[in-house]
Amino acid sequence: MQTKVHKLLRRRDLGGGSYALEVEGPIPSTQPGQFYMLRTERCWPVQLPRPFSLYDRAPDGSWGSFLVKPVGEGTRALCDQQPGEGIVCTGPLGQPFPRDFADPVCIAGGVGLAPFLLLARQAKAQGRTLRLLFGGRTREMLSGIDDFAGLVRMHASTDDGSFGFRGRVTALLDDMLQKGEVKAGEIVFCCGPDPMMEAVAALCEPRGLRCFLSLETYMACGYGVCNGCTVRVQGPRFKGWPFSRTCMEGPVYEACELVHDAH
Amino acid sequence: MLETSLASLELDNPVLSASGTFGSGWEGRQFSDLGHVGALVSKTVTLLPRPGNPPPRIWETPSGMLNSIGLENKGVDYFVRETLPKMRELAASGRKDGRHGPRIVINIGGESIDDFVALAERFCREGVHALEVNLSCPNVQEGKLLFSTDPRLAEQAVRAVKKVADVPVFAKLSPNVTDIVAIAKGAEQGGADGLTAINTLIGMAIDWRKRKTILGRGIGGLSGPAIKPVALRMVYQLAAAVRLPIIGVGGVRSADDVLDFVCAGAAAVQVGTAMFTDPALMVCIVDEIRDKLAAAGTTIGDLRGAAHRQAHQPSGSCAR
Repeated sequence: MQTKVHKLLRRRDLGGGSYALEVEGPIPSTQPGQFYMLRTERCWPVQLPRPFSLYDRAPDGSWGSFLVKPVGEGTRALCDQQPGEGIVCTGPLGQPFPRDFADPVCIAGGVGLAPFLLLARQAKAQGRTLRLLFGGRTREMLSGIDDFAGLVRMHASTDDGSFGFRGRVTALLDDMLQKGEVKAGEIVFCCGPDPMMEAVAALCEPRGLRCFLSLETYMACGYGVCNGCTVRVQGPRFKGWPFSRTCMEGPVYEACELVHDAH
Repeated sequence: MLETSLASLELDNPVLSASGTFGSGWEGRQFSDLGHVGALVSKTVTLLPRPGNPPPRIWETPSGMLNSIGLENKGVDYFVRETLPKMRELAASGRKDGRHGPRIVINIGGESIDDFVALAERFCREGVHALEVNLSCPNVQEGKLLFSTDPRLAEQAVRAVKKVADVPVFAKLSPNVTDIVAIAKGAEQGGADGLTAINTLIGMAIDWRKRKTILGRGIGGLSGPAIKPVALRMVYQLAAAVRLPIIGVGGVRSADDVLDFVCAGAAAVQVGTAMFTDPALMVCIVDEIRDKLAAAGTTIGDLRGAAHRQAHQPSGSCAR
């Protein structure tokens, strides 16, 4: 783990308003699902750095990239950086997707696509091709889909039917479950908006699929000191303690570990 | 050149971590050499485990952030067994070349005077360097802030701790009072060896679209650069009113901020929320202070309280 200024090499437009920010290495070895806290070196308009999964990394670590969609002041400042300007990256942080499963079904919504490119590359290097279910509102909103060409078996869905399955990615999953293309006993890795992940978990658990979710929780420090990013949890991993720090024990949790708060 | 002291506790430099913003320091050790900071102040330790408040617990605001962690910690037994040895290791790492290394300051939180006493006894047995008595967390006691809002209760809590403590005792004060000086005088009467000022300001964030408060508990403590002017004013006010050394805290993110607090009368300064933005910041600030003082041809000792010696005294309740 380190905190370092990395020079922005290139801002690659992924369509749908998202960008891959490619930064100069060295990028430490990072497991799929681990994240970095990012901020601009100069003129950072907010206080706290923002968490992002590492999207891609050169095998030798000479560059790495982050998938960023400008939605607020911090993300906008990151995407407004010009090549040559500095981005402060702290990481790698958190726990990755579990490594004990060879062939997980990956499900992504929007910028939740980010952790799956490294995972797909890792699998491909071992001769496996992962299935990826990726949903967006329109074809345009499937930001980053082209980066997965030849790497995964892609099952895309769009709300308007402009590409792939018509409907939400959860409807696509339901359809594949009904057709037996995804079966009981399989493992699901999922990253996307909370309602989507809850819906995916709700589909998987009664059908006997274990489901691992990568949470996009609001964070302050990212390295375990503030206890601000906690989520309510249950299960043996937490030894009876009701809260877990997303930045330390997460961001990946098995769905059955998460307890939903009423707030 | 940066040496300072808080009562009988000598420090290599005036830069400390603020309680609750840097854990025990252990998580931050990979980002910089913590052997170079003045002291590490632990997150508040309570007698029994406290799970803390329901999420969401944090929310960024313009130039600051709200938190309502609720003193989440696993209690004193766990802390002494698992965390304190790590703080000792960090302290030992800096104890060389004639330096003291980072001092271990334990922030203790209680719901009763008996809690404070039991915690003080325990940590003095463990040989820590100082205690910081958290009179003032806004996120517990249903927001009642008992010890921090009543001078007599503050005095009683501090006196009880002092009776059993063989190390310096600092009282951490709340800004959420009409007159912080009155509370400080209570702590001084109780025998405090120093004051830490200030804790967070109570605040709130609301999402009108959802028609509800953003934090799980509704209210939270505001920290960050937004509160620095308030903290600076209170430190100035305290320095004019009490004889105790003051540890300034609130919105510090640079060497300039530290030196502003020193000018207001602080003997040492804590860095808090800014550690979330840059986990290596404290050590950078120590180096920067050295450079800035050298460039200005002055010392920490010369600067301390200098704002009280200016020709035109600030008007209002702060002035003597």
